[in-house]
Amino acid sequence: MAAIRTTNLTKSYKDLVAVDNLNLTVEEGELFSLLGVNGAGKTTTVKMLSTLVKPTSGEATVCGFALGREDGKIKELVDISMQETAIARKLTVRENIELFARLSGQKKDEIAETARRIYEDFGLGKVANKKAAELSGGWQRKLSIALSLVTRPKLLFLDEPTLGLDVLARRELWRVIENLKGKMTIVLTTHYMEEAEALSDRIGIMRDGRLLFVGTKEELYAKTGKNDVENAFIEVVSGGDCNA
Amino acid sequence: MRESLSRLYALSKRNAKEIVRDPLSLIFMIGLPLFMEILFYLLFHKLTDQFQMIYLAPGIVVFSQAFLTLFTGQLIALDRSTSLLTRLYVSKATPVEFILSYALPILPLTLVQSILFFLVGGIFDAGLFGVKMLLAIPLSLVTSLFFIGMGILFGSLCSEKSIGGIASILIACQSVLSGMWFPIEGLGDGMLALMNALPFRNATLLVQNTVNGIGDAFADFWRPLLILLGYTLAAFVSAVLVFRRKMKQ
Repeated sequence: MAAIRTTNLTKSYKDLVAVDNLNLTVEEGELFSLLGVNGAGKTTTVKMLSTLVKPTSGEATVCGFALGREDGKIKELVDISMQETAIARKLTVRENIELFARLSGQKKDEIAETARRIYEDFGLGKVANKKAAELSGGWQRKLSIALSLVTRPKLLFLDEPTLGLDVLARRELWRVIENLKGKMTIVLTTHYMEEAEALSDRIGIMRDGRLLFVGTKEELYAKTGKNDVENAFIEVVSGGDCNA
Repeated sequence: MRESLSRLYALSKRNAKEIVRDPLSLIFMIGLPLFMEILFYLLFHKLTDQFQMIYLAPGIVVFSQAFLTLFTGQLIALDRSTSLLTRLYVSKATPVEFILSYALPILPLTLVQSILFFLVGGIFDAGLFGVKMLLAIPLSLVTSLFFIGMGILFGSLCSEKSIGGIASILIACQSVLSGMWFPIEGLGDGMLALMNALPFRNATLLVQNTVNGIGDAFADFWRPLLILLGYTLAAFVSAVLVFRRKMKQ
């Protein structure tokens, strides 16, 4: 079953068409990377599919449920890690995890198990009793991403998860994301081409709200005649005018 | 219903911790009004009735509630600016649950304010203690709802940077238009009519009259209560509408 299926999904803001007739299918269990320059429509797409933004037109099913008509059911199965760090700053790491677990309807013993799993996967156990505001930027980011896994989603949106992280923290997060592969469907937006190259099963490239390419890395290389994602990406978004 | 209550509990608990763990909020909501209550009583109670404890303590109780607008608004505006609220919107929590979760944790704090300022007032004037004070304490929970509602509305509308200035205007209005700091007899009819039409003086009168005794039930109690409840209802309805709109955006 497809985790995401969109048909002519469009989002307009006054004169701006942020996402233009998007037709996309993401299969269950897949890690799909959405690439694009700033303003390409990646974040708007993610926000529409996670029920945060209402589409202007078009249709979509998310985890088998109709977007707009069955948002309540979609919310039970989907979670998102935002581009910006989104944590309760005056709560401790443990309290942040408890808050999100309780919001997803978990019981006391389930919350304890979730916390144990999150500490283990993200190494957050050693700072469990520290207030989020007292953590370094990297740890705050890690907590922000970890919170999106507290709800045990079937479909996870990671919107530029490694933005602002140093190289070690980024690699550590890659390891976490790789461990998640197969356990859930992941849609990743990123500006780091090597990230998409290392993690993705398939890649989508957007420009000006339109989806220009969808396929595997190999298909991308074959289409563009390049042998790495960065150059292939430049080739696609520049419409073949760039000979980088 | 059970799921909704569980979400409400989780969000309320979080909001209570965010406010209580901010030392500034406790200084402004409790420390500053307490200091003003004692200082103004000691300086002026022999000069004018305005600063007798039976007027000053209930006035301070309501004045301190104006800071609830500032801190409730700040919490919401900060949540909006850090994307935390957007992140929470992916949960099944509804706008009403979010708004109640910001309002409910403030009520115990209001109760603490009220009991503390009445108790301290009673130390200076034992006449304050009695059944009427016991009635005024729960009534102050009703007056606080107006300020909490305004905080939620401002927090939903304003940015983190502008909320301080906007809430300060409301605090100034409560200070000036409540008539608690100066005699209002010399003011013109127009000004008095304005003060009686706005919620600030009515909130103060409601608690003051409950403590000092109600003569004309309608004029001293029901009219200020109904006016205040009207503003409170308008604040909460507007807050829900604005919050719902922001969620969709």
